[in-house]
Order: sequence, then structure tokens, then C-alpha cells
Amino acid sequence: MSSVQAAIKEFIKKELAVGLSRDIDPDEDLFTSGILDSLAILQLVMFIEEQFGVEVPDGDVVFENFHSVTAIQQYVNGREAQVR
Amino acid sequence: MTRYLLSHAIDDGAARHPSHAAVKLGTSELTYEALALKSNQIANYLVGEGVKKGDRVGIYMNKGLNTIACLYGILKAGGVYVPLDPFAPVARIAYVIEDCGIEIVFSDEGKKSEIPELLSQVSGALRVAGPDLTDGELDHQITWGSVWQDMLTSSPRLSQVEGDLAYILYTSGSTGKPKGIMHTHRSGLSFAEWAAECYGLVSKDRLSNHAPLHFDLSTFDYFAGHIAGATTVIVPEAISKFPASMTRFIEDHEISIWYSVPFALIQILLRGAIDSHDLGSLRWVLFAGEPFPPKYLRDLMAKLPQAEFSNLFGPTETNVCTYYHVPRRGSLSDDPLPIGRPCHNVEALVADEKDDPVADGEVGELLIRGGVVMEGYWGMPDRTQARFLVKELAPGVTQRFYRTGDLVRASEDGNLNYLGRKDRQIKTRGYRVELDEVELALLSHPSVEQGAVYLVSDEEGSNLILAAAVLHESEFVTPKDLLDHMAQQLPPYALPVRIDLAKELPRTSTGKVDRMKLAAEVERATTA
Repeated sequence: MSSVQAAIKEFIKKELAVGLSRDIDPDEDLFTSGILDSLAILQLVMFIEEQFGVEVPDGDVVFENFHSVTAIQQYVNGREAQVR
Repeated sequence: MTRYLLSHAIDDGAARHPSHAAVKLGTSELTYEALALKSNQIANYLVGEGVKKGDRVGIYMNKGLNTIACLYGILKAGGVYVPLDPFAPVARIAYVIEDCGIEIVFSDEGKKSEIPELLSQVSGALRVAGPDLTDGELDHQITWGSVWQDMLTSSPRLSQVEGDLAYILYTSGSTGKPKGIMHTHRSGLSFAEWAAECYGLVSKDRLSNHAPLHFDLSTFDYFAGHIAGATTVIVPEAISKFPASMTRFIEDHEISIWYSVPFALIQILLRGAIDSHDLGSLRWVLFAGEPFPPKYLRDLMAKLPQAEFSNLFGPTETNVCTYYHVPRRGSLSDDPLPIGRPCHNVEALVADEKDDPVADGEVGELLIRGGVVMEGYWGMPDRTQARFLVKELAPGVTQRFYRTGDLVRASEDGNLNYLGRKDRQIKTRGYRVELDEVELALLSHPSVEQGAVYLVSDEEGSNLILAAAVLHESEFVTPKDLLDHMAQQLPPYALPVRIDLAKELPRTSTGKVDRMKLAAEVERATTA
């Protein structure tokens, strides 16, 4: 498991999905499964910007980039590559 | 053909333009003909299961093409559809099922993991139709495959009339227990036909369905849309969480009629990357459920110069809309939007405490009479009776008005203004305060993105006004700045004793600010 994935999972479990006892499957849909709701997205975006030092423009906050832990990880990796 | 049942819209559409899409989700769709056939098959299944006129049938699934086929299938079987919020706690779903005596629930793969818990919490016999569970856990289980394969495609022959119950929508009650608001085919059609005419819906229109089915806004998306022969495009649950995805959804599906709570539209305006998408297909932007702060509405109108905007006002008890308003560009001040004028299918009365009409310009409670008014609350005859004013015109000749609990006042131009809920009119330290007025003062500060005013009891049992606000990103104001701003509009006793700055406000499943939760959190923190 990459460090990016671990950090995202930990943030979701600690801050956003409090009370979730089971593990999060990196490919499961975070929103239709009810793990996250719309209010969680803003926090998730702020966390990613601070933790990984990447800017997340409004237009990037779409279902494809954020629907699962794997998707978020790929998005962050892509943004980091652009910054370098 | 005279239309007197909600399902007639689908059968009419199937006869007139069978291959036109009635419902779309992503790249899949059901044509009017397919929706008519599938709903007939579901109706035949239900009749075979012993469902009789007036029986309640639950819909417990995420919105999808089958969901809409179930909705019409239940109606065609003479049943009453009861949408069960797929994101609500199982205990609440079980309460609703028991409260109105549901024996059959349609569900799907997405809810499969909740079904065993639901069955264990419901004391009566419950049959679950839909999920293709192969492990044989459930008795009486039927799968979609067998419905589509085995059931007749002609509509069951039943005697149905417009006064038959069509749906029950459960809303949060002030007591904490949800209450079921009963509507008939007549009330559904009365609203849908008014709306289809008022907004000039035509078959080439593409309506969004943003609201969940348990929210009365959804009856516009389906019934008004289908009466017009239009296409309703489901906003997938996942997309509805992402403003920029919603913007792209409107562009990709060339949505011409958008309808949602203001919150979703404000998210699109602020975070939807609206400038990088072409939203020129939008013809009407409709909203309801909460006041739309004029500062955002002005900006949204400027971004969508081709679209018209309209507010639909009315509680679920009067089926979506009783008053409507079409704000004009350039005429929008910072004052709250009026609720406008009555829909042509309702009669309104603005009454004082003695139920007599108030003089023009005076504050009174709005009472509504007409086809859109509910039958009553399921299983609560006393509560239902208390909400109605029965006026006797002559011996044995009566008129029934629903007491909305909304305080209103007519302005000089004839528009009605909404002043707040009668039950949000409170006393604090002996003064009468409209909490909605306090909230509007908070929202009028330019740095405030979202705001809510709510009430908690202090140790002496008297009311304390509290507020919570979410600021625009990169705005730096203090609670004191906000209070100073509000103090210019409100008397000192109406000011909140505290304003908490928050990153977000809790919302109910229909997208409205959850003030009960705000109050509960404060009370928990003080007692802990």
C-alpha cells in the first residue's frame, strides 16, 4: 500500500467516517456506499491540498477523481507529477 | 383521453411516442413503451402477490431505471408507493414500514447488505422483491429476471379512481418520529398539470431528477415531465455530491429544466467550475425547499443569461407548490424573494388567530384549499383534523383549508412575502422573535456562505438563540463582525447569544439545514 493511499484511508477513517469499524476497500465507491457525504468532500479536498502540497481546482473535484481511495490516490499522483 | 391516474401519463406517452426516452440514467434509458411494459409487469407481479387497492408498497433503493418502473407499477396495481430513504438508518426505515403496514418492499443490489438487518427489525412479515440474492437467504424472494420473463405485459384490469391514494411521503416530525403525508392521484395530477403548463414543458425537454423520491420535488421531475412526454434524467447519487460533476451532467445531458434545493445550485455556482462548461441548454432553473439568498441568485442569473428562474413554495402537505414567483433580472434587491402569487389551482386565505381574513398588508397564517392538499397524515386522524380549518358556507356545505403554519404578508404589488414559520416564532426573555428573520439577517452578510439560527433551552428553561455560519473561502471575519452586521437590522433581544463558525452545516437527507441536529449537538456538549 502506498503512503498516499494509507494517508487518505487514515484521514477518512479518523475524520470523516467516524464510527466505521470495518476496513475500506480501496476500490469501493465511497459515496454510494454511504461512507462519505457531500459535506465530506470539502474536507477531503482541503486535506489533500495541505498534506500533499497540490492545488485542487474546482473543476477537478468530480466523481471520477474522488469516488474511491484508488481514484483519489491516482489523482494525487497525477497532480504531484505535474508540480515536479 | 381524460387523464385521472398518474400512470396514464406513461400509457399516453407509450401510445404517442413509444420510442421516446421517458427516463435516462447515464447511457441507459427506458423508452415510454418500455416503461409502460415494465410497470405493467411489476403491477401484475404485485396483483399476483395479493396486493389490493390502497396497499402500501415500499421502494428501498437508489434511484435507477427499475426504481421508476416500480413506482408506476405500484400505482398500476392500485397500490400506494412509499419511498424509503436509501441512506436513512435501518431503524428509521423499519419504523416507516411498520407505521404504514408495508408488506412488500422493492429493493436492489445496492441495498443487499442492509436487507437482513431490516428483516430482523421488522416484526411483521415482509417480502423483499428485487435483489438477486443467490444464497437463498430470503423466503418469497423474486428477482428482476423472473419479473421480466414471467409476467404479463398488459396492464392489470382494476377499477381505480382519481381519489385513490397514490403515495405517502414521510417527513421529519417535530416530535422526532417521521409522519406520513398521504396524497392521491388527484393531488399528484393537480400539481403536475399546473407545473407542466406553467413552465411550458414539452416532449423535447430534458428534466433533471436531483431530489430523492421521498422528497416531494421528485413528483415534478417524474409526473410533470411525463405528462409533457419529456425525458427525465436521473442525477446519480454519486454525482450529486460533486458540484463540478453536476455542472458537467447538465452540459452532457443538455438538461433544459433543472429543479433542486437552492443548496445544490449555490454549490454549482461557487464550486461547479461553471465558467468552463456550456450550460446554454437550461431554459428553466427551478428551486424550492429553502429561501434562495438573493446575493447568490443574482450571480447565478448573470452566469445563465438565457435561463428563467422560479421559486416554488409550499409544504409537502400541499404537494410541492401553492405559491410561485419568477424573479426578473435586474430587479433583485437584497430583500428576501417574495413567494409570489398563488398557483391557479389553489385558493388561499391569509387569516388571523380567529381564522378571519387579515387586512391587506397585515401578517397572517397562510391557509390553502385545492386539489393539491393532502388527504391527511397516515394513522393520525387527530393530528390531521387539527391541521384543517373547516368553513361552513351553508348547512352541510363545507370548505376544507389546510393550515400551513407559514406566516405571510401581502406587499403593495400583490406578491406575498414569507415571514417565517408560525412555530419558528419564539419568545425569548419575553420578546417575540422570528427565527427566520434572524437567519436572513445573518445570511445577508457578504462573507457568509451558509447560516442557520436555532434554539436551545438554557438551564432556567428559557430560549437561547444560537447561530452557526459557514464563511466563504478566504474570508476573515469574526463572529463579532457578523453580530455587528446583524445588529443593524435586528433589535438587541433578537441577536444570537453566540455565533459559531463552522466548516459545514449538518443537512437532512433532503438537503435542508438540520437545525434539530445543531441544537442537539450543543445540548449534548453542555450536558457532557
